[in-house]
Amino acid sequence: MMDIQFPKDNADLKDKDKEFDVIILGAGPAGLTSAIYTSRSLLKTLIIETGVIGGEAASTELIENYPGFPEGVSGMDLTDGMKMQSEKFGAKIIMTYTKEVNLKGNRKVVKTDDGVFSAKAIIIATGSSPRNLNIPGEEVFKGRGVSYCATCDAPFFKDRDIGVIGAGSSGIQESLYLLKFTKSIKIVEFLPHMTAEKILQERIKKYENVEFFLNHTLKSINGKQMVESITVEDRKVGTDSVLPVSGVFIYVGLRPNTKIFMGSLKLNENGFIIADENLRTSESGVFAAGDVREKTLRQVATAVGDGAVAAFSAKEYIEGKSSTD
Amino acid sequence: MDMQRKHKVIVFSTQNCPWCRRVKQYLRQNRIVFKDVDVSKNRSAAADMVRRTRQSGVPVVLIDNRPIVGFNKPMIDRLLGIK
Repeated sequence: MMDIQFPKDNADLKDKDKEFDVIILGAGPAGLTSAIYTSRSLLKTLIIETGVIGGEAASTELIENYPGFPEGVSGMDLTDGMKMQSEKFGAKIIMTYTKEVNLKGNRKVVKTDDGVFSAKAIIIATGSSPRNLNIPGEEVFKGRGVSYCATCDAPFFKDRDIGVIGAGSSGIQESLYLLKFTKSIKIVEFLPHMTAEKILQERIKKYENVEFFLNHTLKSINGKQMVESITVEDRKVGTDSVLPVSGVFIYVGLRPNTKIFMGSLKLNENGFIIADENLRTSESGVFAAGDVREKTLRQVATAVGDGAVAAFSAKEYIEGKSSTD
Repeated sequence: MDMQRKHKVIVFSTQNCPWCRRVKQYLRQNRIVFKDVDVSKNRSAAADMVRRTRQSGVPVVLIDNRPIVGFNKPMIDRLLGIK
Protein backbone atom coordinates (compact mmCIF):
# COMPACT_ATOMS: atom_id res chain seq x y z
CA MET A 1 0.00 0.00 0.00
CA MET A 2 1.33 3.38 -0.86
CA ASP A 3 1.65 5.89 1.91
CA ILE A 4 0.04 9.01 0.58
CA GLN A 5 0.99 12.51 1.63
CA PHE A 6 -1.68 14.24 3.59
CA PRO A 7 -1.91 18.02 3.68
CA LYS A 8 0.06 19.86 6.27
CA ASP A 9 -1.57 20.99 9.45
CA ASN A 10 -4.85 22.66 8.42
CA ALA A 11 -4.07 25.55 10.76
CA ASP A 12 -1.42 26.69 8.27
CA LEU A 13 -4.16 28.17 6.09
CA LYS A 14 -4.16 31.97 6.09
CA ASP A 15 -7.31 34.04 5.63
CA LYS A 16 -6.55 34.88 2.02
CA ASP A 17 -6.24 31.16 1.39
CA LYS A 18 -9.82 30.64 2.44
CA GLU A 19 -11.47 32.07 -0.67
CA PHE A 20 -11.86 29.75 -3.64
CA ASP A 21 -13.57 29.53 -6.99
CA VAL A 22 -14.94 26.09 -6.20
CA ILE A 23 -15.30 24.16 -2.97
CA ILE A 24 -15.91 20.44 -3.32
CA LEU A 25 -17.37 18.68 -0.31
CA GLY A 26 -16.13 15.10 -0.23
CA ALA A 27 -12.97 13.39 -1.50
CA GLY A 28 -14.44 10.20 -2.94
CA PRO A 29 -14.28 9.35 -6.66
CA ALA A 30 -16.91 11.98 -7.58
CA GLY A 31 -15.30 14.81 -5.62
CA LEU A 32 -11.75 13.97 -6.70
CA THR A 33 -12.79 13.78 -10.36
CA SER A 34 -14.56 17.14 -10.07
CA ALA A 35 -11.34 18.56 -8.64
CA ILE A 36 -9.26 17.23 -11.56
CA TYR A 37 -11.60 18.98 -13.99
CA THR A 38 -12.02 22.28 -12.11
CA SER A 39 -8.26 22.52 -11.48
CA ARG A 40 -7.53 21.95 -15.14
CA SER A 41 -9.95 24.80 -15.86
CA LEU A 42 -7.63 26.84 -13.62
CA LEU A 43 -10.33 27.35 -11.04
CA LYS A 44 -8.95 27.68 -7.53
CA THR A 45 -10.27 24.50 -5.96
CA LEU A 46 -10.59 23.28 -2.38
CA ILE A 47 -11.75 19.81 -1.38
CA ILE A 48 -13.01 19.43 2.17
CA GLU A 49 -13.13 15.85 3.49
CA THR A 50 -14.58 14.96 6.86
CA GLY A 51 -13.89 11.24 6.74
CA VAL A 52 -11.38 9.42 4.60
CA ILE A 53 -9.81 10.07 1.19
CA GLY A 54 -11.53 7.83 -1.33
CA GLY A 55 -14.79 7.56 0.61
CA GLU A 56 -16.64 4.26 0.57
CA ALA A 57 -14.67 3.16 -2.51
CA ALA A 58 -11.46 3.21 -0.46
CA SER A 59 -12.73 0.38 1.72
CA THR A 60 -13.52 -1.86 -1.24
CA GLU A 61 -10.90 -4.56 -1.40
CA LEU A 62 -11.14 -5.18 -5.15
CA ILE A 63 -12.96 -3.15 -7.79
CA GLU A 64 -13.37 -5.30 -10.89
CA ASN A 65 -15.76 -3.24 -13.00
CA TYR A 66 -13.88 0.03 -13.27
CA PRO A 67 -12.57 0.28 -16.83
CA GLY A 68 -8.84 0.18 -17.46
CA PHE A 69 -7.93 -2.39 -14.81
CA PRO A 70 -8.41 -5.86 -16.31
CA GLU A 71 -7.15 -7.56 -13.14
CA GLY A 72 -9.17 -5.27 -10.86
CA VAL A 73 -7.80 -2.58 -8.60
CA SER A 74 -7.97 -2.00 -4.86
CA GLY A 75 -10.27 0.86 -3.93
CA MET A 76 -7.52 2.47 -1.91
CA ASP A 77 -4.99 2.40 -4.75
CA LEU A 78 -7.52 3.71 -7.26
CA THR A 79 -8.62 6.63 -5.08
CA ASP A 80 -5.04 7.41 -3.99
CA GLY A 81 -4.28 7.86 -7.68
CA MET A 82 -7.30 10.16 -8.12
CA LYS A 83 -6.14 12.22 -5.16
CA MET A 84 -2.63 12.62 -6.54
CA GLN A 85 -4.04 13.52 -9.95
CA SER A 86 -6.26 16.27 -8.49
CA GLU A 87 -3.38 17.71 -6.46
CA LYS A 88 -1.06 17.57 -9.45
CA PHE A 89 -3.33 20.07 -11.19
CA GLY A 90 -3.49 22.33 -8.16
CA ALA A 91 -6.46 21.26 -6.03
CA LYS A 92 -6.01 21.67 -2.29
CA ILE A 93 -7.40 19.09 0.12
CA ILE A 94 -8.09 19.64 3.78
CA MET A 95 -9.28 17.07 6.27
CA THR A 96 -11.71 18.68 8.66
CA TYR A 97 -15.24 18.46 9.96
CA THR A 98 -17.86 20.52 8.11
CA LYS A 99 -20.22 22.06 10.62
CA GLU A 100 -22.48 24.26 8.54
CA VAL A 101 -23.02 25.48 4.99
CA ASN A 102 -24.69 28.57 3.58
CA LEU A 103 -25.54 27.82 -0.03
CA LYS A 104 -27.52 30.94 -0.83
CA GLY A 105 -26.25 33.98 -2.68
CA ASN A 106 -23.18 34.64 -4.81
CA ARG A 107 -20.67 33.59 -2.19
CA LYS A 108 -21.19 30.11 -0.78
CA VAL A 109 -19.86 29.64 2.75
CA VAL A 110 -18.61 26.48 4.48
CA LYS A 111 -17.92 26.54 8.21
CA THR A 112 -15.50 23.89 9.45
CA ASP A 113 -13.50 23.04 12.55
CA ASP A 114 -10.54 24.70 10.80
CA GLY A 115 -12.15 27.95 9.82
CA VAL A 116 -14.60 29.41 7.36
CA PHE A 117 -14.14 28.93 3.61
CA SER A 118 -16.04 30.48 0.73
CA ALA A 119 -16.39 29.95 -3.01
CA LYS A 120 -18.36 31.04 -6.06
CA ALA A 121 -19.67 27.52 -6.59
CA ILE A 122 -20.01 24.36 -4.52
CA ILE A 123 -19.98 20.75 -5.65
CA ILE A 124 -21.51 18.38 -3.13
CA ALA A 125 -19.94 14.94 -3.33
CA THR A 126 -20.38 13.80 0.26
CA GLY A 127 -21.44 10.34 -0.82
CA SER A 128 -23.34 7.87 1.28
CA SER A 129 -22.65 5.58 4.21
CA PRO A 130 -23.63 1.97 4.88
CA ARG A 131 -27.22 1.81 6.01
CA ASN A 132 -27.93 0.44 9.47
CA LEU A 133 -30.65 -2.14 10.04
CA ASN A 134 -31.64 -0.75 13.45
CA ILE A 135 -32.34 -4.18 14.88
CA PRO A 136 -31.62 -5.39 18.43
CA GLY A 137 -27.92 -6.07 18.94
CA GLU A 138 -26.64 -4.10 15.95
CA GLU A 139 -25.51 -1.02 17.85
CA VAL A 140 -24.29 -2.79 20.98
CA PHE A 141 -22.13 -5.27 19.03
CA LYS A 142 -20.60 -2.73 16.64
CA GLY A 143 -16.89 -3.53 16.70
CA ARG A 144 -17.67 -6.63 18.76
CA GLY A 145 -18.59 -8.80 15.83
CA VAL A 146 -20.74 -6.39 13.81
CA SER A 147 -18.84 -4.73 10.95
CA TYR A 148 -19.54 -2.76 7.79
CA CYS A 149 -15.98 -3.09 6.42
CA ALA A 150 -14.72 -6.51 5.36
CA THR A 151 -11.32 -5.22 4.21
CA CYS A 152 -10.80 -3.68 7.67
CA ASP A 153 -12.03 -6.40 9.97
CA ALA A 154 -11.78 -9.72 8.09
CA PRO A 155 -8.56 -10.82 9.89
CA PHE A 156 -10.49 -11.09 13.17
CA PHE A 157 -12.68 -13.82 11.76
CA LYS A 158 -10.06 -16.29 10.58
CA ASP A 159 -11.51 -19.84 10.67
CA ARG A 160 -14.77 -18.56 12.13
CA ASP A 161 -18.38 -18.92 11.01
CA ILE A 162 -19.88 -15.57 10.05
CA GLY A 163 -23.04 -14.05 8.60
CA VAL A 164 -23.25 -11.58 5.72
CA ILE A 165 -26.45 -9.58 5.49
CA GLY A 166 -27.46 -8.53 1.98
CA ALA A 167 -26.96 -10.36 -1.32
CA GLY A 168 -26.48 -7.31 -3.51
CA SER A 169 -23.19 -6.69 -5.30
CA SER A 170 -21.50 -5.28 -2.19
CA GLY A 171 -22.58 -8.19 0.02
CA ILE A 172 -21.46 -10.86 -2.45
CA GLN A 173 -18.21 -9.12 -3.48
CA GLU A 174 -17.22 -8.72 0.16
CA SER A 175 -18.29 -12.31 0.94
CA LEU A 176 -15.87 -13.52 -1.73
CA TYR A 177 -13.11 -11.60 0.06
CA LEU A 178 -14.17 -12.82 3.52
CA LEU A 179 -14.02 -16.43 2.29
CA LYS A 180 -10.23 -16.07 2.19
CA PHE A 181 -10.38 -15.89 5.99
CA THR A 182 -13.54 -17.47 7.35
CA LYS A 183 -14.57 -21.09 7.80
CA SER A 184 -18.09 -20.52 6.50
CA ILE A 185 -20.55 -17.80 5.57
CA LYS A 186 -24.29 -17.65 5.99
CA ILE A 187 -25.74 -15.10 3.57
CA VAL A 188 -29.04 -13.60 4.64
CA GLU A 189 -31.16 -11.77 2.05
CA PHE A 190 -34.57 -10.18 2.55
CA LEU A 191 -35.60 -10.73 -1.08
CA PRO A 192 -36.25 -14.25 -2.48
CA HIS A 193 -33.23 -13.86 -4.78
CA MET A 194 -29.77 -12.33 -4.94
CA THR A 195 -29.48 -8.94 -6.62
CA ALA A 196 -25.69 -8.98 -7.12
CA GLU A 197 -24.12 -8.80 -10.57
CA LYS A 198 -24.66 -12.20 -12.24
CA ILE A 199 -20.91 -12.92 -12.45
CA LEU A 200 -20.65 -12.56 -8.66
CA GLN A 201 -23.67 -14.82 -8.13
CA GLU A 202 -22.07 -17.54 -10.23
CA ARG A 203 -18.82 -17.28 -8.29
CA ILE A 204 -20.33 -17.43 -4.81
CA LYS A 205 -22.52 -20.44 -5.70
CA LYS A 206 -19.37 -22.52 -6.23
CA TYR A 207 -18.43 -22.41 -2.55
CA GLU A 208 -19.63 -25.35 -0.48
CA ASN A 209 -19.08 -23.46 2.76
CA VAL A 210 -21.59 -20.74 1.82
CA GLU A 211 -25.18 -21.23 2.90
CA PHE A 212 -28.01 -19.01 1.61
CA PHE A 213 -30.95 -17.77 3.64
CA LEU A 214 -32.92 -16.02 0.91
CA ASN A 215 -36.32 -14.52 1.71
CA HIS A 216 -35.17 -14.19 5.32
CA THR A 217 -35.21 -11.20 7.65
CA LEU A 218 -32.47 -10.59 10.19
CA LYS A 219 -34.32 -10.05 13.45
CA SER A 220 -31.56 -9.73 16.02
CA ILE A 221 -27.87 -10.11 16.71
CA ASN A 222 -27.22 -12.00 19.91
CA GLY A 223 -24.41 -12.61 22.38
CA LYS A 224 -22.94 -11.70 25.73
CA GLN A 225 -19.74 -9.69 25.25
CA MET A 226 -19.23 -10.55 21.58
CA VAL A 227 -21.55 -11.77 18.82
CA GLU A 228 -22.54 -15.42 19.27
CA SER A 229 -25.51 -15.85 16.94
CA ILE A 230 -28.12 -14.21 14.74
CA THR A 231 -31.85 -14.79 14.65
CA VAL A 232 -33.44 -14.90 11.20
CA GLU A 233 -37.06 -15.28 10.18
CA ASP A 234 -38.16 -17.26 7.15
CA ARG A 235 -40.53 -14.79 5.50
CA LYS A 236 -42.50 -17.50 3.71
CA VAL A 237 -43.43 -19.65 6.70
CA GLY A 238 -42.79 -17.14 9.50
CA THR A 239 -40.50 -19.36 11.59
CA ASP A 240 -37.36 -18.17 13.37
CA SER A 241 -33.95 -19.85 13.33
CA VAL A 242 -30.92 -19.08 15.45
CA LEU A 243 -27.67 -19.36 13.48
CA PRO A 244 -24.41 -19.57 15.42
CA VAL A 245 -21.94 -16.98 14.04
CA SER A 246 -19.17 -14.93 15.60
CA GLY A 247 -19.31 -12.07 13.14
CA VAL A 248 -21.91 -10.21 11.08
CA PHE A 249 -21.05 -8.05 8.08
CA ILE A 250 -23.88 -5.79 6.99
CA TYR A 251 -24.40 -4.64 3.37
CA VAL A 252 -28.00 -3.52 3.09
CA GLY A 253 -27.70 -0.39 1.04
CA LEU A 254 -26.70 3.19 1.56
CA ARG A 255 -27.92 6.30 3.30
CA PRO A 256 -26.93 9.70 1.92
CA ASN A 257 -24.65 12.04 3.82
CA THR A 258 -26.98 15.02 3.44
CA LYS A 259 -27.91 15.96 6.99
CA ILE A 260 -26.32 19.42 6.81
CA PHE A 261 -28.15 20.22 3.56
CA MET A 262 -31.64 19.53 4.90
CA GLY A 263 -33.75 22.64 4.52
CA SER A 264 -31.40 24.28 2.03
CA LEU A 265 -31.57 21.84 -0.91
CA LYS A 266 -34.31 19.78 -2.50
CA LEU A 267 -33.88 16.17 -1.40
CA ASN A 268 -35.92 13.11 -2.30
CA GLU A 269 -37.88 11.06 0.25
CA ASN A 270 -34.77 9.05 1.13
CA GLY A 271 -32.62 12.13 1.60
CA PHE A 272 -30.67 11.99 -1.68
CA ILE A 273 -30.07 15.32 -3.45
CA ILE A 274 -32.19 15.93 -6.52
CA ALA A 275 -30.17 17.30 -9.44
CA ASP A 276 -30.89 17.80 -13.13
CA GLU A 277 -28.93 16.24 -16.01
CA ASN A 278 -26.26 18.94 -15.66
CA LEU A 279 -26.14 18.12 -11.95
CA ARG A 280 -27.54 21.48 -10.89
CA THR A 281 -29.39 21.32 -7.58
CA SER A 282 -32.31 23.42 -6.43
CA GLU A 283 -29.87 26.17 -5.39
CA SER A 284 -28.06 28.19 -8.03
CA GLY A 285 -24.30 27.60 -8.04
CA VAL A 286 -24.62 24.34 -6.09
CA PHE A 287 -24.03 21.05 -7.87
CA ALA A 288 -24.25 17.42 -6.74
CA ALA A 289 -22.15 14.48 -7.89
CA GLY A 290 -21.83 10.79 -7.08
CA ASP A 291 -23.61 8.60 -4.54
CA VAL A 292 -25.13 11.58 -2.71
CA ARG A 293 -27.60 12.35 -5.49
CA GLU A 294 -30.74 10.60 -6.58
CA LYS A 295 -29.73 8.12 -9.30
CA THR A 296 -30.24 4.52 -10.28
CA LEU A 297 -26.70 3.11 -10.19
CA ARG A 298 -24.09 3.96 -7.55
CA GLN A 299 -20.70 2.82 -8.78
CA VAL A 300 -17.21 4.33 -9.07
CA ALA A 301 -17.76 4.42 -12.85
CA THR A 302 -20.91 6.53 -12.49
CA ALA A 303 -19.40 8.71 -9.75
CA VAL A 304 -16.47 9.83 -11.90
CA GLY A 305 -18.85 10.65 -14.76
CA ASP A 306 -20.86 12.79 -12.35
CA GLY A 307 -17.69 14.45 -11.14
CA ALA A 308 -16.75 15.56 -14.64
CA VAL A 309 -20.24 16.85 -15.44
CA ALA A 310 -20.59 18.74 -12.15
CA ALA A 311 -17.19 20.37 -12.67
CA PHE A 312 -18.14 21.44 -16.18
CA SER A 313 -21.44 22.88 -14.96
CA ALA A 314 -19.67 24.71 -12.11
CA LYS A 315 -17.21 26.22 -14.59
CA GLU A 316 -20.04 27.33 -16.88
CA TYR A 317 -21.85 28.85 -13.91
CA ILE A 318 -18.78 30.73 -12.69
CA GLU A 319 -17.92 32.04 -16.16
CA GLY A 320 -21.51 33.12 -16.79
CA LYS A 321 -21.68 34.71 -13.42
CA SER A 322 -18.34 36.50 -13.78
CA SER A 323 -19.49 38.10 -17.02
CA THR A 324 -22.63 39.45 -15.38
CA ASP A 325 -21.07 40.41 -12.01
CA MET B 1 7.47 21.16 18.36
CA ASP B 2 8.81 17.91 19.80
CA MET B 3 6.96 14.69 19.30
CA GLN B 4 4.76 13.94 22.30
CA ARG B 5 5.75 10.94 24.37
CA LYS B 6 3.95 11.59 27.62
CA HIS B 7 1.12 9.18 26.79
CA LYS B 8 1.44 5.54 25.81
CA VAL B 9 -0.43 5.26 22.52
CA ILE B 10 -1.00 2.09 20.52
CA VAL B 11 -2.98 1.97 17.25
CA PHE B 12 -4.39 -1.41 16.25
CA SER B 13 -4.97 -1.43 12.51
CA THR B 14 -5.14 -3.53 9.36
CA GLN B 15 -3.50 -2.83 6.02
CA ASN B 16 -6.52 -1.96 3.91
CA CYS B 17 -8.52 0.02 6.43
CA PRO B 18 -9.13 3.66 5.40
CA TRP B 19 -10.12 4.82 8.89
CA CYS B 20 -6.95 3.27 10.35
CA ARG B 21 -4.93 5.34 7.93
CA ARG B 22 -6.94 8.43 8.86
CA VAL B 23 -6.38 8.01 12.59
CA LYS B 24 -2.63 7.46 12.15
CA GLN B 25 -2.41 10.50 9.90
CA TYR B 26 -4.19 12.56 12.55
CA LEU B 27 -1.81 11.42 15.28
CA ARG B 28 1.23 12.16 13.11
CA GLN B 29 -0.18 15.58 12.23
CA ASN B 30 -0.39 16.31 15.94
CA ARG B 31 3.10 14.91 16.56
CA ILE B 32 1.94 12.08 18.78
CA VAL B 33 4.32 9.13 19.02
CA PHE B 34 2.45 5.83 18.76
CA LYS B 35 3.07 2.14 18.27
CA ASP B 36 1.34 0.74 15.19
CA VAL B 37 0.18 -2.86 15.51
CA ASP B 38 -0.99 -4.45 12.25
CA VAL B 39 -3.36 -7.16 13.40
CA SER B 40 -3.72 -8.58 9.90
CA LYS B 41 -0.12 -9.79 9.99
CA ASN B 42 -0.45 -12.29 12.80
CA ARG B 43 -3.23 -13.96 14.69
CA SER B 44 -1.69 -13.44 18.10
CA ALA B 45 -1.76 -9.66 17.62
CA ALA B 46 -5.44 -9.86 16.70
CA ALA B 47 -6.17 -12.08 19.69
CA ASP B 48 -4.20 -9.74 21.94
CA MET B 49 -6.22 -6.79 20.70
CA VAL B 50 -9.53 -8.57 21.33
CA ARG B 51 -8.36 -9.53 24.83
CA ARG B 52 -7.17 -6.03 25.73
CA THR B 53 -9.94 -4.00 24.13
CA ARG B 54 -12.88 -6.41 23.71
CA GLN B 55 -13.14 -5.18 20.14
CA SER B 56 -13.03 -7.11 16.87
CA GLY B 57 -12.94 -4.14 14.54
CA VAL B 58 -10.30 -1.60 13.68
CA PRO B 59 -9.07 1.01 14.21
CA VAL B 60 -8.79 0.89 17.98
CA VAL B 61 -6.53 3.42 19.68
CA LEU B 62 -5.26 2.47 23.10
CA ILE B 63 -4.33 5.61 25.04
CA ASP B 64 -2.76 4.78 28.41
CA ASN B 65 -4.61 1.44 28.24
CA ARG B 66 -7.96 3.05 27.52
CA PRO B 67 -9.44 1.79 24.24
CA ILE B 68 -11.04 4.26 21.82
CA VAL B 69 -13.02 2.71 19.01
CA GLY B 70 -12.80 4.16 15.50
CA PHE B 71 -11.65 7.67 14.66
CA ASN B 72 -13.28 9.30 17.66
CA LYS B 73 -11.60 12.68 17.34
CA PRO B 74 -13.19 14.41 20.36
CA MET B 75 -12.17 11.54 22.65
CA ILE B 76 -8.64 11.31 21.22
CA ASP B 77 -8.26 15.09 21.58
CA ARG B 78 -9.43 14.98 25.17
CA LEU B 79 -7.21 12.11 26.29
CA LEU B 80 -4.13 13.48 24.53
CA GLY B 81 -4.75 17.13 25.28
CA ILE B 82 -4.93 18.08 21.57
CA LYS B 83 -6.43 21.52 21.07
